[in-house]
Amino acid sequence: MRFYIIIAAIFWCGSVDSRKVRGISSSYKRFYRERKSFLCIDGSKIIPFEQVNDDYCDCEDGSDEPGTSACPRGRFYCTNLGFRPHYIPSSRVNDGICDCCDASDEYNSHAHCQNTCWNLGQRERAYVEGQMRTLDEGLRLKQQLIEEGVLLWREKQAQLRELQQVAEDLQIKLEEHRRRKHEADQLKEQTLKELQAGDSGLRHQNNTVTGIFQLLDSNKDGSITVDEVKAKVVLVHDEERVLSENEALGLLGGGHQMDVTKFQHTLWGVLTRGDSVKIKDAHGAQGTLVGEDPYLMAADRAAEWMATKLKKVEEAYETVNMEISDLQKKLAIDYGTDWEFLFLNGQCYKLKVYEYTYTLCPFNQVTQKNTAGTEVSLGVWGMWAGTPKNLYNQMIYESGEPCWQGGSRSTTVTLTCGTETALRSAKEPSKCQYIMDFQTPVACQPVLKQRGIHSEL
Amino acid sequence: MATFSERMAPVLILWLAVCLSGTWAVDKGNFKTCDQSAFCKRQRALKPGESPYRALLETMELTNTRLTLQLINDNNKVRLLLELYRLQGNITRVKINELKPLKPRYEVPDVLVREPPTEPLSLLSQDENGVVLALGAESQRVIVSARPFRLDIMEGRDVLMSLNSRGLLAFEHLRMRKDTQADPEAEKKDEADSANQAETTKEEEEKAEDGMWEETFKSHSDSKPNGPSAVSLDFSLPGVEHVYGIPEHADTLRLKTTDNGDPYRLYNLDVFQYELYNPMALYGAVPVMLAHNAKRTTGIFWLNAAETWVDISSNTAGKTVFGKMLDYVQGSSETPQTDVRWISESGIIDVFIMLGPTPKDVFSQYASLTGTQSFPPLASLGYHQCRWNYNDQEDVQAVDAGFDEHDIPYDFIWLDIEHTDGKRYFTWDPHKFATPKEMLQGIMDKKRKMVAIVDPHIKVDSNYKIHNEIRSRGFYIKNKDGGDYEGWCWPGSAGYPDFTRADMRAWWASMFSYDQYEGSMENLYTWNDMNEPSVFNGPEVTMHKDAVHGAWEHRDVHNLYGFYVQMATTEGLIQRSGGVERPFVLTRAFFAGSQRYGAVWTGDNAAEWDHLKISIPMCLSLGLVGISFCGADVGGFFKSPSTELLVRWYQTGAYQPFFRAHAHLDTPRREPWLFGPENTALIREAVRQRYTFLPYWYQQFYHTYRSGEPVMRPLWVEYPQDPATFALDDEFLIGQDLLVHPVTEEGARGVTAYLPGKDEVWYDVHTFQKHNGAQNLYIPVTMSSIPVFQRGGSIIPRKLRVRRSSTCMEHDPYTLYVALNPKRTAEGELYIDDGHTFNYEKKEFIHRKLSFINNSLTSINLAPDAQFTTRSWIERVVILGASKPSKVTLKTADGQESLIEFDFDASMSVLTLRKPSMNVGDDWTVVLQ
Repeated sequence: MRFYIIIAAIFWCGSVDSRKVRGISSSYKRFYRERKSFLCIDGSKIIPFEQVNDDYCDCEDGSDEPGTSACPRGRFYCTNLGFRPHYIPSSRVNDGICDCCDASDEYNSHAHCQNTCWNLGQRERAYVEGQMRTLDEGLRLKQQLIEEGVLLWREKQAQLRELQQVAEDLQIKLEEHRRRKHEADQLKEQTLKELQAGDSGLRHQNNTVTGIFQLLDSNKDGSITVDEVKAKVVLVHDEERVLSENEALGLLGGGHQMDVTKFQHTLWGVLTRGDSVKIKDAHGAQGTLVGEDPYLMAADRAAEWMATKLKKVEEAYETVNMEISDLQKKLAIDYGTDWEFLFLNGQCYKLKVYEYTYTLCPFNQVTQKNTAGTEVSLGVWGMWAGTPKNLYNQMIYESGEPCWQGGSRSTTVTLTCGTETALRSAKEPSKCQYIMDFQTPVACQPVLKQRGIHSEL
Repeated sequence: MATFSERMAPVLILWLAVCLSGTWAVDKGNFKTCDQSAFCKRQRALKPGESPYRALLETMELTNTRLTLQLINDNNKVRLLLELYRLQGNITRVKINELKPLKPRYEVPDVLVREPPTEPLSLLSQDENGVVLALGAESQRVIVSARPFRLDIMEGRDVLMSLNSRGLLAFEHLRMRKDTQADPEAEKKDEADSANQAETTKEEEEKAEDGMWEETFKSHSDSKPNGPSAVSLDFSLPGVEHVYGIPEHADTLRLKTTDNGDPYRLYNLDVFQYELYNPMALYGAVPVMLAHNAKRTTGIFWLNAAETWVDISSNTAGKTVFGKMLDYVQGSSETPQTDVRWISESGIIDVFIMLGPTPKDVFSQYASLTGTQSFPPLASLGYHQCRWNYNDQEDVQAVDAGFDEHDIPYDFIWLDIEHTDGKRYFTWDPHKFATPKEMLQGIMDKKRKMVAIVDPHIKVDSNYKIHNEIRSRGFYIKNKDGGDYEGWCWPGSAGYPDFTRADMRAWWASMFSYDQYEGSMENLYTWNDMNEPSVFNGPEVTMHKDAVHGAWEHRDVHNLYGFYVQMATTEGLIQRSGGVERPFVLTRAFFAGSQRYGAVWTGDNAAEWDHLKISIPMCLSLGLVGISFCGADVGGFFKSPSTELLVRWYQTGAYQPFFRAHAHLDTPRREPWLFGPENTALIREAVRQRYTFLPYWYQQFYHTYRSGEPVMRPLWVEYPQDPATFALDDEFLIGQDLLVHPVTEEGARGVTAYLPGKDEVWYDVHTFQKHNGAQNLYIPVTMSSIPVFQRGGSIIPRKLRVRRSSTCMEHDPYTLYVALNPKRTAEGELYIDDGHTFNYEKKEFIHRKLSFINNSLTSINLAPDAQFTTRSWIERVVILGASKPSKVTLKTADGQESLIEFDFDASMSVLTLRKPSMNVGDDWTVVLQ
């Protein structure tokens, strides 16, 4: 490459005849052929050729002064042999600052400009080569990541399908269990009814009548008294209150005591109806009631078991559905055309800048932590916000911690091509508006081509 | 970087507590009204009437330079000493002090550039009623009336000004504090029969009203060890309906009458989000008022640095136009008159009456007292890019590169408080600004400069060199109990150096030397903010009045503090270069004489159209009292401007003396290229216009440095006989020759500009369209520019090759814009020097007069004894209002003649001479035939 440039330089030096027209590129040379007159490139005016580059602006478009600072809209062409040629505004010609690396812009100033094009060119070439290597490597890695992404995508899709299948199964199971629980409940109820109402229950009833009677007859003297009633019987609607003397008397049918026979025909009925008064600690009493009946006990246990089982299934169903919706949410995010950004989900990248540590968790959130350990949200995943040409070179995280003058913190992340995936910079150019530079192979674009370091021929 | 609120939380909370309760408007409750300021209330309670003061003519002594005379207050028998001086240049000085004060009263030092030279006074006549003295050669006399005492200054039969004609002279003599037990008992005796409750109330009221020995405002108490000490005097101005000056107020150019509200207040304060169109005090105070009518301009300079209130009333203020007309028709009516009254809290009465008679005479009279605007380095007239804050060196570099990328020139980039290491001024944040010299070198490579902030509050921190030195030298202001005064400001607890001490100022100045101010370089300049001084937890966000500056109270010197801070800083920047380089220091607080030390800006404005609008009268008012280098934050400091407002503000700022964009920390970035290519182009064009006019701006600053005339001036200054100009403050002149009418209305399609001058013509600088003077002209506007006109009869030198910075344009050629008046003549000047050193004082400059008369344009040397050479030449002469010549010849000093090519645009009558190429320093003549 170097060889060609040297050749080119020699060729260039030897062959150019209109060299005195300073500040033009070879493609514009045809406009500046030595003639009697010069036509402004915009065609607006014809001037004598001597007035080209005579340090006075004649043409509206500045085309007569490509090599001086005379025209406000003019531009000067830096040939920059060995480096990149480029235009600078005419106002930078002879302003005492070296702009062209070949020093051609300061031909009449006190600035001592060195020709640095060769060094710059080498640096540029090295840089571009480095960039190309990075790009090649980046693209290779990207391809891998794309492949992985596709796999990951498929895997996630499969996972989703699996979960959906599980959910379906669970749904069926759930229905089954609901049905079974319903049956068990019904059985239990029926048993209880039978127990309470059926003739086969007389023995139980007697027993029960005796049992309750005995429960009420605290001093076991064969009759229950007002005090005994007050001690054991309470109102259904107000369990806390102790019955009054009169209320107890009423329950005893007006007498001060009651034997078991009278009890069976009066108070027993009131208690079993259970709508006005009941035995204190009714559960215990009922437990005793049920506990003493093996059928009822079995039905009750079956119903309880079924309920527990149903609950478990319900929970499992809920969990699976949550997993599904999480996964769906994740999969609803745009991970690029080839799902190449998918691998970033679930990762976090940190960078320390001065006293702050910044953490970027792509597609999730951005945070900032100071040395004291206080963490502040700089935004949660919002959207892709790149150019229409490349949507995927910028991410926005929004609605972070509120700012004291209103609004909330937000972060714009610019993705650049690199061989590693890492956070490269984090800044706050305006209050509460953060910008980050995030490097990753998946941001590498094959369209990025070496900008020509072609020399002027 | 990052959360300001976190790091500044303590200070902010305090600040918030102190200065805001609403979010976006000044909290008036934080600042005193006249009623809440005991002396103002006391003094304002005095109503016009017969003065208790009598002149004791037998005590009169008249020497060659002054007259002295005792005055006695017949109510309390306290005697005052009146001194009357006739000063050179048509100024009368009246000084009134106690004859025998208990202790000396404060007389403002350092503001006058020298003891003003006097002229002899002569006695014309004397009888038992008074004396008549002749004032110099003109037919001016001063009449001293004895009973009651008053002064009348006459010219011929006209009274120009009367003092104490309304009997409002008041002088609270210093007194011993009476036994506090005695008074209430006496009162009890008087009111023995009144009910107990009423009595207590009365007593309390009197005490509160009085406030003579103690005063509280909000939670702050002022101990007032010296008791009452206010002074007051009234001035009557017959024939005057327009008064101006006494900045700083966010108000119209023409001062309003104050009968129905508070007086204008002069007390330097850090007002958070100030309100427009009211007389509240702001950051600076210049106690100078100008009075003007079609016949005469006069001025009153009230030299007092204590809190001051100014009342204005007028006998025509209430009258409608019809009423005035009726008066005129009926030939009845009194002459219009404006009455002014000054009230200060302490010190003496020391007033300079500047008798004009023209506006320019008043400027030169005031300049002879307090000096003129310092001649700034040329670069400081370029564009300044500021923001609170450019975050780090990388940020600075990126912004600098942004200007190059978008081809917008700028000269200064600014660093606000965040650049320091924890608000310790003279230091750099070790991370964000780790290598300041590297950064400054990068800027210097582009021929640009930087300003870093240095505020006067010093962080109390034993690891901070500046603090330790000030403390060990005893340089801090003391509190009333003798300890170092401490207040809250940006760094938290801070001390305030006593800048009233010359030794303190000398030490401060030495801190700017390159070996003391680490990381500084010759392209680093300084910004003094918060120098009112701002004390977040002090009364009215400033210092306690009973704080002590040596022998004086802060009360006496308050309005001088900012003046001294800038003085010391400026001295530092001069000294660091061995007296070679001109300094540049921006200040927020100021006083009379501050013009000698640099630039002033209008403080923390807001991104609102009304704030853009008010920037015009605010800077005009400052210019009238000597401070020409004035500007407002372009874009507005608080809030975020709409794009249209930002563009309009750039267009306006480009035609105001100090041109700096600035923004609050909490606002989004607003560098000129952030609003789309169209707006970038509009802003670029505005800034470029500024740069093309830099030779004219520079020449105007040279002129103000020599004459004291404002650079940015109201139209009435140039058209003093045209009443239509007297109240105009939506347009202004730069020098004599450029008229600017900014667009300050949202969505404006046009503006109506008044073009003054009956026989004048004005040329639109953008289109060269010619308009006649003495008319209101409707000018359609687009977003591309604001109306600017060049006066017919003027020649303005410009540089059309706009480059990265003004320094890059140093050797560029000039284009002369010759705008012909109806007589086909024009005149102008051209001033050139090196742009940055004091060598102009050694006559190293070019000053030429350009004149066009009889179809020849000639350049002659205005300063033949001056020496300077330049490479700059004249590339173009544009003659507006010309006719087509047959040929154009150039005659140079060596007698050579050459033909000049030209181009004539008949549609606009513009003749352009192509490349005459003479050096601007030479003698030459161009003849049109």
